[in-house]
Amino acid sequence: MDIVVCVKTNPDLEMVRVKDRVAQTEGVPYKIGDLEKNALEAAVALREAGAAAKVTALCLAEGNRKAAEDIKTALAMGADEAVVVDDPALADPDEAAVAAALAAAVKKIGACDLLLFGEGSSDNYTGQVGARVAELLGLPQIGYARKVEAADGAVRCERSMDDMIETVEAPLPAAVTVVSEINEPRIPGLMQIMKAKSKPLQVWSLADLGLEAPAPVREIVSNLAKEQDRKHIVFEGTAAEQADAFVDALTREGVLGR
Amino acid sequence: MDFRYTTEQEMYRQAIREWLTKNLEPRARAIDEAEAGIPTDITEGMAELGMFGVTIPEEYGGMPLPDEERLIYAMITVHEIARADLSMSTPVYTLLTIGWSYIVNRYGTEELKQELLPAVAAGKAFAGINTTEPGGGSDLAAITTIAPWSEEKQAYIMNGEKAYVSGPKECEKWGPPSGHCTLVKTDPEQSYKGFTFIWVPAHLPGISYTTYKDMGRMGLSTGGWIYKDVELPKKYVLGEEGKGFYVNMDGFNAARVLVAAACLGGAEKGLEISAEYTAQRKTFGKPLGKWEGISFEMVDDWMQLDMLKLNLLRGAWMIGQEHTNPGQFGRKEINKVISTCKCLAPTLCHDIARHGMIYHGAFGYTKDTPLEMLLRGVMSYEVGAEGGLMIMRGIIARDEWGETHNPFKD
Repeated sequence: MDIVVCVKTNPDLEMVRVKDRVAQTEGVPYKIGDLEKNALEAAVALREAGAAAKVTALCLAEGNRKAAEDIKTALAMGADEAVVVDDPALADPDEAAVAAALAAAVKKIGACDLLLFGEGSSDNYTGQVGARVAELLGLPQIGYARKVEAADGAVRCERSMDDMIETVEAPLPAAVTVVSEINEPRIPGLMQIMKAKSKPLQVWSLADLGLEAPAPVREIVSNLAKEQDRKHIVFEGTAAEQADAFVDALTREGVLGR
Repeated sequence: MDFRYTTEQEMYRQAIREWLTKNLEPRARAIDEAEAGIPTDITEGMAELGMFGVTIPEEYGGMPLPDEERLIYAMITVHEIARADLSMSTPVYTLLTIGWSYIVNRYGTEELKQELLPAVAAGKAFAGINTTEPGGGSDLAAITTIAPWSEEKQAYIMNGEKAYVSGPKECEKWGPPSGHCTLVKTDPEQSYKGFTFIWVPAHLPGISYTTYKDMGRMGLSTGGWIYKDVELPKKYVLGEEGKGFYVNMDGFNAARVLVAAACLGGAEKGLEISAEYTAQRKTFGKPLGKWEGISFEMVDDWMQLDMLKLNLLRGAWMIGQEHTNPGQFGRKEINKVISTCKCLAPTLCHDIARHGMIYHGAFGYTKDTPLEMLLRGVMSYEVGAEGGLMIMRGIIARDEWGETHNPFKD
């Protein structure tokens, strides 16, 4: 079984500053997203357990000029090969364009029995890409996976739902998007980092994938979070009366007594 | 010319920062207070990521790095550890071990390298430096520990006393092959030419130690050694007999890179703590950071820190280049760059810790901030260790202006 893990690099959120409610990403270094690291760890663990033969990390640069450098972290974490799709026409793509490019790259890679994604990216977290790529490739998709096992031509996952855990199975090839509970991603040591230097890494353009520059289908009206303010309620009376009024207010807000 | 880390160096830096922030930083205060050494699970985790193997070739269990980059990797390692453990315990433990292993690899016999280096790379041995004596450390020519060769025993017979040495308890914890690179007089009649630099395993018969109570870096022991008729076979000689002074000085240059790295790592973190606090803490209606009395002092510290980081990278690079392809730089050139870093970095780190404590007010005087721990820890590098600050100035005066300004010769 061969696994392809779609790995997005995001601006390092710890270094992003916010000005007038807008994230300032200029000059901020990129790094592999947290959930993508979970997906990578899951893939490498499957290979180490003997359930997979090869793990390929696939990254769409999306404006990260150092994507071909940053993806080496995935190789150090245990991926066998890496492919970066880097094209000026994909500097700030919408989810449809990302999915189209990833699907074409997966086809070009060829062998792919299991396609893994993080449930959402660390920056925009639309959570759309895994499902879109699965649809384009005609693969069954399992979301919110907190456990992934593969055997006998099928993938079996535990799905993390709000109040229950669901176990589902799909025939391979299949696409799975994972959540953070699935594992603790390994931190690569220096030996793994140096070994990653000699692992195969290819950089493809849209033309290599037989694609043209995508026409945007998304228009961002606003991606700002709703502004929040305090309610400025002042309780009066004795301490006991204030406490009662406070509990009443919390109950009305639905914070208590649910 | 490229002032950036390579992709692999940067990946390594990020990886160990992630591990150290998660595993070492939350325990730094406990390490300082327990005075019981670096916890074994910490050294094991560090070894797993390759931190103890950066200066050791792969054939001895170390890391597959280009030789000319080994000291840069060591510098990155120590800098990042110092950011995580502001008590300076873990950074000093590590810098001694990987720094003096670098010298053992460069000057040691094949037998010694096989005996020592795999255990160091695995994080299961301590390696240190042992030159200072009760009579002093800066005036190395005056040391009195002797080890003349005995034909009968086929060994150097060592007698004397060393003082203010890091790591006696650590040597006891790990057992053989832990020990120290040690400067002795194999020809007591001679001056500089009588010195030999030699590896002294701490477990040999005739060796005993005492410990001192330090003011800082409490997770690493300091003590004194007493040697009585200790037999040291030839395999332990580092470099050539009679050339110990020069081997020792070469070792000091490598070690001083790492000492400065520890001080700059601590300084960088200390300044970050101050930046965060002065952004949040408001007085008279505005954050402390808006008061130029504070922010300009922070800028002065930042400027020195930035310049020293660059100069240290240059020094580590020069030594790596010279060791792999000799003849590129003269000894004096390297001495000046390294001595500059070793002279200024401890004081800058001290200043940053002290300034930060003052920005924090009474809070800064408590053990709820790690700044007092940094201040206590870094002072060990102001009072001495790998060369006192005045010795660094003396080296620069000598190597820049020659004999008219050489304080070491009348």
